[in-house]
Amino acid sequence: MTSIEVQALTKEFGSRRAVDDLTFTVLPGRVTGFLGPNGAGKSTTMRLVLGLDRPTSGTATLGGRPYATLREPLRHVGALLDAGAAHGSRTARDHLRVLAAGNRIPSARVDEVLEETGLASVARRRVKTYSLGMRQRLGIAAALLGDPEVVMLDEPSNGLDPEGIVWVRDLTRRLAGEGRTVLVSSHLMNETASFADHLVVLGRGRLLADTPMREFIDARVRPSVRIRTTDAVALTTALARHGHDAVQHDDGHWTVHHARVDDIGRIASEAHVPLLELAAEEGTLEQAYFDLTATEAEFTTRPTQPQHQPQGA
Amino acid sequence: MTFAPVLHAEWLKIRTLRSLPGALLALFAVTTAFSALAGADGGSDPEFDPLFTALSGILPGQIAAISFGATAVSSEYHGGAFRLTLAATPRRGRWFAAKMTAIAVPALLVGLVTAVAALAAGRAGPGSAVDGLTVGEQLRGVLGCGIYLMLITLFAAGLTALLRSGVATLSVLIPFILVVSFVIGDAAGTVADFLPDKAGQIALHQTYDGTLGPWSGLTVTALWTAAALLAGGWSVRRRDA
Repeated sequence: MTSIEVQALTKEFGSRRAVDDLTFTVLPGRVTGFLGPNGAGKSTTMRLVLGLDRPTSGTATLGGRPYATLREPLRHVGALLDAGAAHGSRTARDHLRVLAAGNRIPSARVDEVLEETGLASVARRRVKTYSLGMRQRLGIAAALLGDPEVVMLDEPSNGLDPEGIVWVRDLTRRLAGEGRTVLVSSHLMNETASFADHLVVLGRGRLLADTPMREFIDARVRPSVRIRTTDAVALTTALARHGHDAVQHDDGHWTVHHARVDDIGRIASEAHVPLLELAAEEGTLEQAYFDLTATEAEFTTRPTQPQHQPQGA
Repeated sequence: MTFAPVLHAEWLKIRTLRSLPGALLALFAVTTAFSALAGADGGSDPEFDPLFTALSGILPGQIAAISFGATAVSSEYHGGAFRLTLAATPRRGRWFAAKMTAIAVPALLVGLVTAVAALAAGRAGPGSAVDGLTVGEQLRGVLGCGIYLMLITLFAAGLTALLRSGVATLSVLIPFILVVSFVIGDAAGTVADFLPDKAGQIALHQTYDGTLGPWSGLTVTALWTAAALLAGGWSVRRRDA
């Protein structure tokens, strides 16, 4: 199977470094979430991998080969870069037929991907009549056309309705499950958390993280525990004895920060605290991401802004 | 990747965009109609040239050819279309050659058919000056018309690839054809003879007295076209998508 190898990749537009000495590998069999704020260099990196832009220095290869040397590249790599790629005056089916013809993909495959992306019933309509979500589906259909081992999707959930977002999630999981290499960029954290196994995080064109998603979150956000009880005094006393602080919320539940649910459950049980609810609150990708960008604050916030409030800019 | 599938894809692109076959149809209709009109009231002009009168519809008709060439290329620069094209065909030189072939062949064929139709329309008209033309002259007119329209189409296509905009190309070429060439075109025997449109149109005349003849005139137009194609190809190969 094919991986995406990015090696010391740099791209300058004028004096601006869109991609700055980037090195990472995207492996098959898992979904890699490609995260970063707008302008972090995600799309530029994808364009460099596809040979659309020339790198200032460094290389991007697929299974060791530059994209431009692939014979019939759509059979190896499928990419969604831009929902506006299809000409508005062409029908969706014709758009895909053109792509199939150039890469000698059987035209039966066109109807298959139209079916798969839910566009079969509108395939003979011109693309300019499509909603953004339908164009996005057409872009994904184009990416899947050659049954490629490598799939790169740039912001695939853009413009999709909730059903479509679930569909993209299931699709990326399935593609990875089939052993393909899947790279999905997004700036939506909850969305990414729902499908990614691994994360590559960019900020200002530089690599900020390249780790499994679970590790990324656990390393940055300590979990907390949510508790409801009928005996607040017993709870706080028991927790205080073990060095935990509990914070009460307006609706009556308590949060114990930086604690594991196993420990808190045992403490409460030993102190005979009557519990109505006990739940782990795992750190979210969003929290972890903001923690990361806060430590990179000199890159992400203006000097006039307080450093603990990164807006992910 | 071999050339044939890429050419097939480019040909499909032209066929499946309604405006492109439409432009070729307009080329045929406009050229034939204006030729027929010119043939109907021609003959009084002292510089009357029966061959050029019969084919004079090419003057307005070539605008459709220019639109065809410009639109066929500029459709690649809508939204992210060009990125998708290059992702499907990363060998840019090969893609450009396929694109230009897919533009040139239909332009040539439609040009030839149009010239035959224009001559037929001229013969049907009351002027019937066409009857005075030899078979050789008519054949030269038909071939010249087809080649000229192909070259001017490719000229527009190459320029569009360089400028990456159909609007920019049309706003350079159409005023040029309608105004500049028309105004200074009467100054025959000067540099005006070497303009891309004037040079090629010599092949459409029965008589010619300038520096250039029919075939050397078409060669001059071909050189202009080659320059536009080289510049366009350079832009496609060198610039980021």
